[in-house]
Amino acid sequence: MNYIGHGNKLIKEQIMDSNESYIAIKSLKKIPISSRAARECIDLAYGFFSPLEGFMNSDTLNSVCQKMKLIDGTLWPIPILLDMDRDTINKNNLKIGDQIILSFQNQPLALLDIEEIYQYDKQKIAQAVLGTTEEKHPGVKMLDEWSDYYIAGPIKLVNEPIFQPPFDRFWYTPLQLRKIFQEKDWECIVAHQTRNVPHTGHEWLMKGAWFSTNANLAVERLKTGILVSCIIGPKRMGDYIDEAILLGQQQLNDSNYFNQEIHMVSLVLWDMRYAGPKEALLHAIIRSNLGCTHHMFGRDHAGVGSYYDPYDAHRIFDKIPEGSLNIKPIRVLEWWYCPVCQEVTYSGLCGHTRERQNFSGTMIRSIIQDKVQPTSLLMRPEVFQVMLESADKYGFGSPFCNEKYLKQRQPVFRLFPINS
Amino acid sequence: MNKIPINIWINEQRYQKLCQAGLENMTEEVLAGMKVLRVYCNEEEMDILLKKYPSAKYDQSTTKSIELLPAEVKNEIFNMVVKEKKLDIFEKFLK
Repeated sequence: MNYIGHGNKLIKEQIMDSNESYIAIKSLKKIPISSRAARECIDLAYGFFSPLEGFMNSDTLNSVCQKMKLIDGTLWPIPILLDMDRDTINKNNLKIGDQIILSFQNQPLALLDIEEIYQYDKQKIAQAVLGTTEEKHPGVKMLDEWSDYYIAGPIKLVNEPIFQPPFDRFWYTPLQLRKIFQEKDWECIVAHQTRNVPHTGHEWLMKGAWFSTNANLAVERLKTGILVSCIIGPKRMGDYIDEAILLGQQQLNDSNYFNQEIHMVSLVLWDMRYAGPKEALLHAIIRSNLGCTHHMFGRDHAGVGSYYDPYDAHRIFDKIPEGSLNIKPIRVLEWWYCPVCQEVTYSGLCGHTRERQNFSGTMIRSIIQDKVQPTSLLMRPEVFQVMLESADKYGFGSPFCNEKYLKQRQPVFRLFPINS
Repeated sequence: MNKIPINIWINEQRYQKLCQAGLENMTEEVLAGMKVLRVYCNEEEMDILLKKYPSAKYDQSTTKSIELLPAEVKNEIFNMVVKEKKLDIFEKFLK
């Protein structure tokens, strides 16, 4: 079993044995953390961010901002930081050498050994990572909302999250996924990152990427798989609800629009920074830790507005040193519907550029909002059906996030009290 | 004055009603067989509409149309088009 992840380092889970947790944490200060920090604790602990073992110190942050590398030279594009306000630090008298318990949902989550407490110019981080300090960039806005101090140090999970239905069936750690890939006898695995209920354009993106990834492998036995890796993080009004995304993606498998031998759906906890090309690199790193060999990137991956050229996230892979990633990018153009070809087709191959009909997320949203079933050429009827069922069951009547969903949605995971 | 479209998506049921009203040629196929009926308003009418339905917005970046109107409102607009047998119904609709 190959457990070598990014930076050619062994992926190590940092999880305290449940028998030790109760005693270990009893006398330690409990500090509540944000939902973002909780998600990133979980990612750190299970190896999604391998070789990182904790939240970054100032030297590492500086190195990531200036050189896009960790101190040891490993490629790393996005800082992973634990922010904290001065009041909390002072009230709890936190200092270097302390062990604290990071808590979430009023329960202990992780033990952190404080190695450094520091400040860093947020504008410098924004400019280095996002390429802008404009407040209307959502990544800049996110940084601005963070507290002004950062706590650095390794973490260890003391309380494993229990994922709630329907998220539970899609939650796999890097070590679990690698085992599954081996059981499926997959030699190549292409990751498809998504935050959407799939339409046929998405479906063909994945199918095209499968062909590219399979390349010159033999085909009598299929050894290439597609890992649909759904990003689960903060939601905004108008986003698809998480449950519809996961169940909609799974429906393509259940209804055999994908051969079940070559397709599976999973989730990753991550708060998007919308950092365009640099975030594309981080997504590649995460999926390499999951055991994927390839990662597909479409137009404007992780982009927002017009901050990045639509193909910056393709080009960055040509700019990094050879061997710095254990995963290959599969660069894809758009798929469109061609009324002349009468099929969903690849923009690089179809010459009917004047007649083409582009897939538009806004248009599809408008159709669904009107409660009109899209044509099956646009969205598979089974996917549409499961999306409506998810809307009723989880979305307070809508497949798109509304105020009620944002306030009252069920949690993705729960933490329970640690018993002696 | 600028004409700003509101997209009324046409499923089979709505298409039948349009055929009965003799309006089937007013639809346009826009994406993978999806038909749309575009009903136009002017900027003044758009402002009234967006004020009345704050969840709606003018999508400047992609579709250049009024989006996120409640489904019931679009239903009313569609029904008025079928009843009046014409697209130019917006002034009457706002009244």
